Amino acid sequence: MKRRQETHVGALESFAIGAIRIVQVGRREIGILRSDDATVHALLNVCPHRGAPVCKGKIGGTMLPSAPGELVYGNDGKVLKCPWHGYEFDIETGASLFGIMRGRLHKFETEIRDGEVYVSA
Amino acid sequence: MSTETLSTERPISPATERLSIVDCDVHPIVKGGMNSLFPYMPIAWQKRLKQKAAEIVTVAPLTLRFEHPNGSALRSDAATPSGGPGGSDPDYIKTDLLDKHDIDIAILNCLQPGAMAAALAGPDESVVMCSAFNDFFLDNWKLTGSGPLRLAISVPVQDPVAAAAEIRRLAKNPAVAAVSLPLINIRMGNRYYYPIYEEAHRCGLPILLHVTGTDSIYYGAPHAAVGLPESYIERYVSLSQIAESNISSLIFSGTFEKFPGLKFLFAEYGFAWILPLLWRMDRTWRSLRHETPWVKKSPIEYVHENVRLSTQPLDEPERPEDLHTLIKLFGYDLLMFSSDYPHWDNDMPEQSLRTLPLEARRKIFGDNARKVLRL
Repeated sequence: MKRRQETHVGALESFAIGAIRIVQVGRREIGILRSDDATVHALLNVCPHRGAPVCKGKIGGTMLPSAPGELVYGNDGKVLKCPWHGYEFDIETGASLFGIMRGRLHKFETEIRDGEVYVSA
Repeated sequence: MSTETLSTERPISPATERLSIVDCDVHPIVKGGMNSLFPYMPIAWQKRLKQKAAEIVTVAPLTLRFEHPNGSALRSDAATPSGGPGGSDPDYIKTDLLDKHDIDIAILNCLQPGAMAAALAGPDESVVMCSAFNDFFLDNWKLTGSGPLRLAISVPVQDPVAAAAEIRRLAKNPAVAAVSLPLINIRMGNRYYYPIYEEAHRCGLPILLHVTGTDSIYYGAPHAAVGLPESYIERYVSLSQIAESNISSLIFSGTFEKFPGLKFLFAEYGFAWILPLLWRMDRTWRSLRHETPWVKKSPIEYVHENVRLSTQPLDEPERPEDLHTLIKLFGYDLLMFSSDYPHWDNDMPEQSLRTLPLEARRKIFGDNARKVLRL
């Protein structure tokens, strides 16, 4: 993550926890995701697989690798699933889950100051 | 296991050349379900279907076993501005698909009547419903022979004579580009289908084949080999077997000798399997030609003459160039670009087959379609 121009994207309270809001920062569409009271992620709205608007996907959990016939749900609230081909990514690291691809989500640094959210993009 | 994906390709074709793109597989949906279709049905059929509460079955239920693991095969981000499902608004198809991805012409292939005709409705019901769906799109969506959206009309395959009549009824409409033939569990070379082939051949319309949603699920629909799959993913990856079986059936039954100008476009069955099928058919024909002596040339030649495959869903080998080697081996003339919008597994042109030479891209993204579809 490179530090670039800092842009104000809104008040922290305007971002609902667990939902992504897409904002325009310069020429980029960036999805802002507030994952808890004090954590905000900024994700480029381009899926590294086929360029789909990944930030229009759902935030949730996933089924962890498990034995045949066994379901283990995990990573609740930490997974972004692309609305096209369903590729899943870890919102903390941007990495794809469990080796489905080498590419990862492009993330930007965020900062919360005085209740306002800033993105360096 | 990690896989390199097509997103890492770098274009070889000059970026400056604009391709004239035909998308041969886009899926519209009738907004409002059955109520929107009633104006296009005789009054007695409106009464019958209302009494059956038929509006509940306008989308093929895939059953719990085969329901999409994410809840729907429709892209959630393709929902229309008014909140309708993706594919239900022609203006939004233009802005969200055609304009955004620089596509000139899209062929609308509605799977709702396909599922009805293949298995979900009875023969008489499917005759009425196919006509209603066809008329709805031609009339309500105001399709024309010069507009960017053209229609593959659906035909009631359980009644081949009625299906031929439906082709005859609509073939004069220049917005009609193809006949979408919902498949049933009778191989395509069987003479059962001859009334349909004869009429399409006479009218100069190609036959478009596509899974209807009933395949490998409902009795009457075609099934992939060896029993019932256990999940959506298992069913999905075996559906290409239906196209393989049907292509060999068309060849060895002599269909292309009987209807030499008729073209068959297999959409969304993929294409990586075609090369081994061609080799196997060719080698076996050389040994056993005398069993089906009406097959007068190598099956490979018939396929190049009469069969086309859509590009979607594109496979993604670890080295993208392997896919391109494969296409070069069977020939650039066999493929026609399709997006499959608004479905979850759609491919968009700017992300598809980017390292192919320009000559190949011109053919696959437009020229081949213009030779096969009635545009």
